[in-house]
Amino acid sequence: MLANGIYTLWKKHMIKMQSAEVSGFVIQPILWLVLFGVGMASLVTTSGTGEYIGFMAPGIIALSALGGATAGGAVWQTERLRGMVREYLVAPIPKLSILGGNVASTVTKGLIQGIIIFVVSLLMGATLSNNPINLIGGLAAALLFTIGFSGIALAFASLTDSPGGFHTMILLLNLPLLFASNALYPIKILPTWLQIVAYANPTTYAISGIRDLVYKTSTFPGSDIALWIDFVVLFAFAILGLLFSQYAFKKSLP
Amino acid sequence: MNTLAIETKDLKKTYDGKIYAVDGIDLQVEKNTVLALLGPNGAGKTTTISMLVTLITPSSGQAKILGYDLTKDSKNIRKKIGVTFQEMAIDDQLTGQQVLEIHGKLYGMKGSELKSAVDEIFDLIELQEVRNKKVKSYSGGMKRRLELGRALLTKPEILFLDEPTLGVDVQTRAKIWDYIIKLKKEYGMTIILTTHYMDEAQSLADKVEIIDHGKIITQGTVEELIESLGSDIIKLEISGDSASLVKKLKALDFVDQVTSHDGWIQVGVDNSDTRVVPLIQSVIQQGYSISNLNIKKPSLGEVFFKYTGRELRE
Ligand SMILES: Nc1ncnc2c1ncn2[C@@H]1O[C@H](COP(=O)(O)OP(=O)(O)OP(=O)(O)O)[C@@H](O)[C@H]1O
Ligand SMILES: [Mg+2]
Repeated sequence: MLANGIYTLWKKHMIKMQSAEVSGFVIQPILWLVLFGVGMASLVTTSGTGEYIGFMAPGIIALSALGGATAGGAVWQTERLRGMVREYLVAPIPKLSILGGNVASTVTKGLIQGIIIFVVSLLMGATLSNNPINLIGGLAAALLFTIGFSGIALAFASLTDSPGGFHTMILLLNLPLLFASNALYPIKILPTWLQIVAYANPTTYAISGIRDLVYKTSTFPGSDIALWIDFVVLFAFAILGLLFSQYAFKKSLP
Repeated sequence: MNTLAIETKDLKKTYDGKIYAVDGIDLQVEKNTVLALLGPNGAGKTTTISMLVTLITPSSGQAKILGYDLTKDSKNIRKKIGVTFQEMAIDDQLTGQQVLEIHGKLYGMKGSELKSAVDEIFDLIELQEVRNKKVKSYSGGMKRRLELGRALLTKPEILFLDEPTLGVDVQTRAKIWDYIIKLKKEYGMTIILTTHYMDEAQSLADKVEIIDHGKIITQGTVEELIESLGSDIIKLEISGDSASLVKKLKALDFVDQVTSHDGWIQVGVDNSDTRVVPLIQSVIQQGYSISNLNIKKPSLGEVFFKYTGRELRE
């Protein structure tokens, strides 16, 4: 019954997604790539736009995962505030499957957006690792990061009763995610205080992992953080995100 | 004992330890009957239903639904009940078809069983033509019918309807009444509904519980409750000062109660057939003229008024 509940709710959210939200959330990351990426590229490299786009892509993938997670959180908040959740609460499914269904659909949305950005970066000339294991590893890093952020988004969506409040909370995470991390420039060139923030930011590890596995080139030789550290941090981030969402979810029930 | 669909003992729900939303309710609902919970805003109807459908946990007291303990066995209860909510809980971004399919899947239905159940429901609620349209294009009444259909999809043994006709027009209301009567007769369902509308309780319910301030004030069949008033009501419209007339009429031995409001005098008598002529005579003797008169059999409205001293809006 747990699996059935999760699957049914996931499917419901996928049906709803078709009709609404994807496009709006993916436009912003694409604009980042196109506008910021192309401009920056001409500043930092002479070897063509593609390489910098590749450098930048992991950060934008993380940003778009956040966009997808935000969309998922917003759906959960709407269903909760408009009382649709009562249909699930009186159905013979475990309460945990309600959370599980929302996590599944939110993560799916984050991943779909991340993959769209991945494809756009290809179209813009980024060079990729040709080792399929690296690509799968990159996807795994993106997945763990998306799970963690989906947990946070769902928790916020459980804790605040106003759609505006929810979006404000997410927006507060949006900018530091890009600027207080290694998303746009190598960590070494940051001032020390910002380096500390960047090392405390889980986004840094997602970017470092994806970059090292998927987008490494000679001009941008990847990060200083060992791959296994990336994955340990991302795994912990995913677990903490899920625990946070579970705590908030329980608090939000009648 | 086994014929009882619902049995509760001293069921209570308090919020923050001080708001007594439901303050000790004892219910006994027999299978294949319709029970109406009748009461004004804030009486505790929704809270009572919410506990019985396992949406919220009681603060104290016991309840058995179909023999299952409300708190220990909620999963078995959920499989066998259907619910509609006072504030509709339908996802209007889906089509009617999708709403029913997803609902069925939450209850473990699938394949041809689900498909034929969905078909049957669209026939019953007469929404076949719009089943593939988004719910947001439905009218309020259509949404209510869809929500009712959704609750019926899983063929529940007990159906809980919280204000099933709130905000719908007269035709839809009549339709929903028809469905309820049909469900009881043809499907043998037990139905618990809440309402503000006395005529609704009167037309549908085998038994009525009148609730106010979280307590059951009185209960019984509609006939019993009305009979308990023990009198018919004669209403007279008169001209002039009614205060002295009220006093005179109260003194008559066949008059139970007299109230006056806006030029109307409401007189309770033991039997309107034999008392109407003497009553008119004594009014005229006092020098008053009667411009309008009607005789009412008491309804649940008068019952409610008698027990609470307040009007229930019709
Ligand atoms: N979550 C809550 N927290 C605090 N008080 C509540 C809560 N839910 C209900 N109440 C209070 O409990 C009382 C009963 O509410 P309930 O919704 O059960 O009434 P009702 O009979 O359904 O009224 P209505 O006809 O307006 O639907 C009200 O005074 C209400 O304010
Ligand atoms: Mg109510």
